[in-house]
Amino acid sequence: MSAAGIVSPFSLLDALITLASLVATLWIGLRVKRYVGSIEDYLVANRGMGLYVGAASLLSTEVGIITYMYQAQFGFVAGFSAFVTGLITLGVCLVVGRTGFVITRLRELEILTVPEYFEKRYGRPVRVLAGLLMAFGGSLNLGIFPIIEARFLAIVTGIPSAYLGWTMAGLLLLALVYTAVGGMVSLIVTNYVQYVFLAAGTLIVTVACLRATGWGAMVGAVRSHLGGHGFDPVQDLGWGFLLWQVLLWVALMTVWQSVAMRTFSTRDPATGKKMFTLTGFLFLGRAIIPMAWGIAALAFFWGRAEPAAPPAPATRTAQIEQVEARLDAGFRRDLDEGRIGRLLPQLEQLERLAGSERGPAATRAAERAQERRGEIGLLAMPWMLAATLPSGLLGLMVAGMLAASISTYAGYFLGWSSIIAQDIVAPLAGGELSGAARLRLTRVTVVLLTVFIMIWSLVYDLPGPAYFYLQVTANLFMAPTLIAVVGGLYWRRASATGAVLAFVLGAVTSLGYLVPALKLGVATAGNLSWALAITGFVAGSLLVPARARPAEARP
Amino acid sequence: MSWQAFWLASFVVAFAAFGGISLLIAVRGVAEIRELFTALDEEQRRKRP
Repeated sequence: MSAAGIVSPFSLLDALITLASLVATLWIGLRVKRYVGSIEDYLVANRGMGLYVGAASLLSTEVGIITYMYQAQFGFVAGFSAFVTGLITLGVCLVVGRTGFVITRLRELEILTVPEYFEKRYGRPVRVLAGLLMAFGGSLNLGIFPIIEARFLAIVTGIPSAYLGWTMAGLLLLALVYTAVGGMVSLIVTNYVQYVFLAAGTLIVTVACLRATGWGAMVGAVRSHLGGHGFDPVQDLGWGFLLWQVLLWVALMTVWQSVAMRTFSTRDPATGKKMFTLTGFLFLGRAIIPMAWGIAALAFFWGRAEPAAPPAPATRTAQIEQVEARLDAGFRRDLDEGRIGRLLPQLEQLERLAGSERGPAATRAAERAQERRGEIGLLAMPWMLAATLPSGLLGLMVAGMLAASISTYAGYFLGWSSIIAQDIVAPLAGGELSGAARLRLTRVTVVLLTVFIMIWSLVYDLPGPAYFYLQVTANLFMAPTLIAVVGGLYWRRASATGAVLAFVLGAVTSLGYLVPALKLGVATAGNLSWALAITGFVAGSLLVPARARPAEARP
Repeated sequence: MSWQAFWLASFVVAFAAFGGISLLIAVRGVAEIRELFTALDEEQRRKRP
């Protein structure tokens, strides 16, 4: 199988199933337009969201094809150790849900966006600065979704790569139409329908993965082919990474705009708390289930591996060059045709040789091998699905995945465009915009954001695994946002100067990871960003205290 | 408990919880959407002059 490459069995039946799900979503999304009368209806569904629909909306916004791909990639490269991030997410959700940490206070303030709180607590400049950084980081984050998701769709549907751009443009347009027209009301209803598709797709893929490989083979593949890693998260990922994950997930669950908007949309603070407890277990599945798909893909392709020819006798450095040249020669073609069973043994051979030698050439070879493993890890899961799912199930799976993605686009469009309209443009315009003007502005921003994402997706090259890129671009504003919100809610001396310093220092350090020349590790960039943001916040607040505290937002 | 057993237990809990809660959402969500529409209808009627 691996010598001939993989051809997806996606058929007319699969195409019809997929098309029917898309038409149903669009029809439902547009039908609820008549319920949108005010900016409150548009952004937070007039705060009328119930527990189960809220959980569905939150999950379908936070799960897209990209989520499944980067989680599967993480499972493929880190083995079972990757599961620890799912457990961290569950723990954070349960604590936030039980204590109401941050979310209850923000819900009680009846705000529409997180930066709106900053104006109440610190003044308008902090709101605008936070809005700018959120819109910037959020757009960068969203900007790589289409190109990665397009690769998934190309593999599982067999669409020629020439039409990929158009396919993604069509999907973005679909999400754009009903988000711009129906806002949060559309989102809640379509998210519910999409969640049902998404959950069905997730369960189908999981059963297919387990049938294709089996748990025993997955354990065996991790034990034999991850160089002694893959089970102990502390040893594999380190305490620094785990600490950063805890901090980041606390921020994501409390002040990430698309999550916060669901909190603001709930009927009351108590429903908001319950929603977090319920979604904690869904978030556990969101992480662990696709990571298991990645591990299943590792086992699947090692089960079809073609042994790599040993290098000719020479010095170790010459052997490394030989193996690397052979791997490079067919890498792109083999990866694009699903011959991963041919690539893995060559990659392992290169890693073993590079690991047994010292010097700059061996180090470079080891780094390149790691990059290659990441590239294979991103595409291994979709190739496995294309090779194992029969026609019919493939259509249901694609319908589920597209539902997941469109709901994510729609949720993020609304989240980031509301920040741009409510927290950047409106305050800079003197805050004099009417509700109708804000509604129009938000809709225009949704359109502009879509254009930006299409362009960014085509021009940007990822500096490492997608998982890290997405988390760093989120960390860019999440660290300072959480610190400024928590400080504002629970510390009387918090001041605007402290908040500004937190935003500037936190953002600059995170951006360091995206500049390859700085060679800043992901955990280092993440933790440094938190440390500097806290230091800046405390120092700024103590050195330049707040002049007068607004009554409703202070502790 | 070994790491292997721990990760298997984590996977089983994640899969079962995801399936179970998804079923709950699918069943109970319909009534909640109806309630949301009723509330939005009432709100619009109240605002109408």
